[in-house]
Amino acid sequence: MATNDSSTAAAAGPQSGLRAMRFSVRLESLLVLAVLVVALSILSPYFLSVSNFLNILLATAVIGILGFGATFVIAAAGIDLSLGSVLALSGVLGALSVNALDLPWPVAIVTCLAVGAFCGLINGLLNAKAGIPAFIVTLGMLGVARGLGLVFTNGQPVYGMPDPIVFLGQGRPFGVPMPVFVFIAVAIVAHFVLAYTRFGKYAQVIGDNETAARAMGIRVDRHRIALYMVSGTLAGVAGLLFLARVNAGDPTAGLNYELTAITAAILGGTNLFGGRASVLGTLIGALVMGVLQNGLNLLAVSSFYQQMAIGAVLVLAVWLDQVNRARGQR
Amino acid sequence: MRIKTIATGMSAALLAAMLATPAIAQDKPVFGVLLKTLSNPFWGAMEQGIEDGTKEANVEYFLQAVESDQAAEPQLNTCNTMLQRKPAVMITAAINSTILLPCLKQATEMGIPVVDLDANLDHDIAEKAGVKIAFTIGSDNTEAGAKGADFMAEHLKGKKGSVLVIEGLAGNITGQKRAKGFADRLAKVAPDLKIVASLPGDWDRQKAANITNDTLTANPDLVGIFCANDTMALGAVESVYAAGKGGEIAVIGVDGNTDAVKSIKAGRLTASVAQLPYLVGKQAVEKAKTLLEGGEVKKFTYVDTLVLTKEVMEAGTDPNLQYVK
Amino acid sequence: MSLLELDGIKKHFGPVQVLLGVDLKIDAGEVVALVGDNGAGKSTLMKIITGIHKPDGGTIRFDGTDISGHSPGEIRERGIEMIYQDLALARMQDVASNIFLGREPTRRLLGTPIRMIDRARIEQEAEAMIRKLGARVPSVRHPVGKLSGGQQQSVAIARALTFNPKLVIMDEPTAALAVREVEHVLDLIRELKRQEIAVILISHRLTDVFAVCDRVVALRHGRVVSDEHIAQTSMNTVVAHIVGAA
Repeated sequence: MATNDSSTAAAAGPQSGLRAMRFSVRLESLLVLAVLVVALSILSPYFLSVSNFLNILLATAVIGILGFGATFVIAAAGIDLSLGSVLALSGVLGALSVNALDLPWPVAIVTCLAVGAFCGLINGLLNAKAGIPAFIVTLGMLGVARGLGLVFTNGQPVYGMPDPIVFLGQGRPFGVPMPVFVFIAVAIVAHFVLAYTRFGKYAQVIGDNETAARAMGIRVDRHRIALYMVSGTLAGVAGLLFLARVNAGDPTAGLNYELTAITAAILGGTNLFGGRASVLGTLIGALVMGVLQNGLNLLAVSSFYQQMAIGAVLVLAVWLDQVNRARGQR
Repeated sequence: MRIKTIATGMSAALLAAMLATPAIAQDKPVFGVLLKTLSNPFWGAMEQGIEDGTKEANVEYFLQAVESDQAAEPQLNTCNTMLQRKPAVMITAAINSTILLPCLKQATEMGIPVVDLDANLDHDIAEKAGVKIAFTIGSDNTEAGAKGADFMAEHLKGKKGSVLVIEGLAGNITGQKRAKGFADRLAKVAPDLKIVASLPGDWDRQKAANITNDTLTANPDLVGIFCANDTMALGAVESVYAAGKGGEIAVIGVDGNTDAVKSIKAGRLTASVAQLPYLVGKQAVEKAKTLLEGGEVKKFTYVDTLVLTKEVMEAGTDPNLQYVK
Repeated sequence: MSLLELDGIKKHFGPVQVLLGVDLKIDAGEVVALVGDNGAGKSTLMKIITGIHKPDGGTIRFDGTDISGHSPGEIRERGIEMIYQDLALARMQDVASNIFLGREPTRRLLGTPIRMIDRARIEQEAEAMIRKLGARVPSVRHPVGKLSGGQQQSVAIARALTFNPKLVIMDEPTAALAVREVEHVLDLIRELKRQEIAVILISHRLTDVFAVCDRVVALRHGRVVSDEHIAQTSMNTVVAHIVGAA
């Protein structure tokens, strides 16, 4: 075949492109975050302190972990609206396992994760095998899981966890709250899986072009189910943290969290319609919201304005992203 | 892109600055007040009482709330953030009995007195969790129900018949207390009035109207309806009128909210057991001030309630009427 | 024994009979054109060969093995590649990722059993393949969606050829190309033939068919209506088969 040197391109860029590609995913949100931090440091004397930053991380942990779950599902052009309800159900059942059934404390952890994974499995099967749209399936699960949580507890929080569980939520080794450690660990694992493994790559390929994914031999249905199980399990982790943090399984926990989690993902540069997703971006997105909320709280801004501010930042960040991408395309 | 981003951030910061409350003078004690939500007239009146109370007590305060009375974890996060400002007192209306405990425990460790506003905490559980509650102040919901029963017995004296109770959201403690307070007292004071159904109306006007319709069909001898809040009572009263029984059936709500007051004045709603959140808020601040100055404060304070009827409002003599908005 | 043997392949979608028993044999290194009107069943037949659709009847033997009902992944493993008319590329992924789609080499993470995609190897090999094909692509790290149509086709071709296929199916590869690029694709088909790789070319452009193919098979209403050597037929005859005038 014709091979002439002038037409062979594919030259390696001057910078180490792999890294540049992965981490420039959302420079905008990182800058928004930096500007927020600077501005709030000036505006509030209480903002710039280690204890307040730990506070922010603690407050962001549950939403952030849910956001990672949302990221995996959205990567494959899916959606999981049941995250908040599954969080509550897994927390409630985890609490009941040690509280009402008096089982040893590790059972609570296993229960939370297993309940989350199971809800994800049901979501995945109904979506991938029965062919019901993800929006409908997970909307159904939102209602069912929430209702089950209320049924099991009669609507009241299940109070009182064994000490190791309370430690998981309230302990502070080296002065750092335990949920922050869990948050960071989950972030590292989730980022690795999404960015560096076949599992994560295929999630994005499915979201990008499902037909192509099938043609190239990716088992799309199986993969979908697995992705919903990942998001369910992460909702279980979030449920466990919630449970441990407040020392109670609360059936009303996590109301509307799915929307906040999805917002964090989108804010972090994940494409709502699939194909491009970043756990690191979602982490930054969640932090942008966490910092904003914390700052507005410190400034004692009314909760009404807080919601406005978060909505405005979301639209701005996504708009900046689009401006940037449009420029890159030329 | 960079410039635009920075511009965005700056405008966000500017927005924040504009919305911020004026800087707090540091020489007066600063009270931290954490409510459930502001999107509800009950909490609006409470906030007004707190504001007036702090003015009279000559203290500063900063007040926070979350977006809805279901946003439990955001309330916990807000509570933690408030502690960064080291308030002299934390006055908190917790969304449920457990959610704020980790934060209030920290407050206790910091030596900040904790005030249980609106009686949402369980003192035993709180103590186990390491929270020291300075005092609880609120409305006695059981007593509000009982007052409703007293009024109904008086109003329907000599009559016999069925009574319907519409509860709040299934599992909600406030609604349960009001309904139980009503039922227990009614059994004592009016043996001729029989409760034929006690159903959850989920605080929803439409649902209460439907329940009323259905119960009227099943029990044509219905003479009284007690609803755990005014919103539901307003729904129930519409069904009563639609069924052509307007004026014959006594409909009683709880709260004394603006719409209920209008309806009572118009002669539709029979009565509302008004709680006085304004007074609760005001007294909470006063008592906290007393506590800070080393005075004694009772562990539990229940602020009076007032049965609002057309007669009471037209007479206009009850001193508590001024707190009904 | 032929490389690919289709025997009585049947397929219907609901009440619509698309294939009514198709027999076809292709030898190694043979270039066969598959022609037919729209709706004749060409694409469906190819999707059955690549495992995307399951046949309702008949068998497919490839390289001596029955592959009927195998999954697309298994069939690619056995050496059948297809270049789709829409190219089947993941547009948000970069060139290297697309070339290795579904076959990413992995390496161990720090000696643990955890496997991560070997990006360095993928980029290196993708670059080598692009160079070998003489394609103009700015960088293997460039998202495919930002490339021109011709460049995207180069990526699809590179993907089909990277893993030493025995049979390459091309669905209208020249339909959207400029004259110069068409010649490039035809050269490529000749090169594949030289390397003993069989090709099935689906095309409406009979000039291309007569330029590179050994045989031409016409499909009409789900049946093979003619199977002739290029030397023994003419464009007019083939057109007649396609429209059913012969």
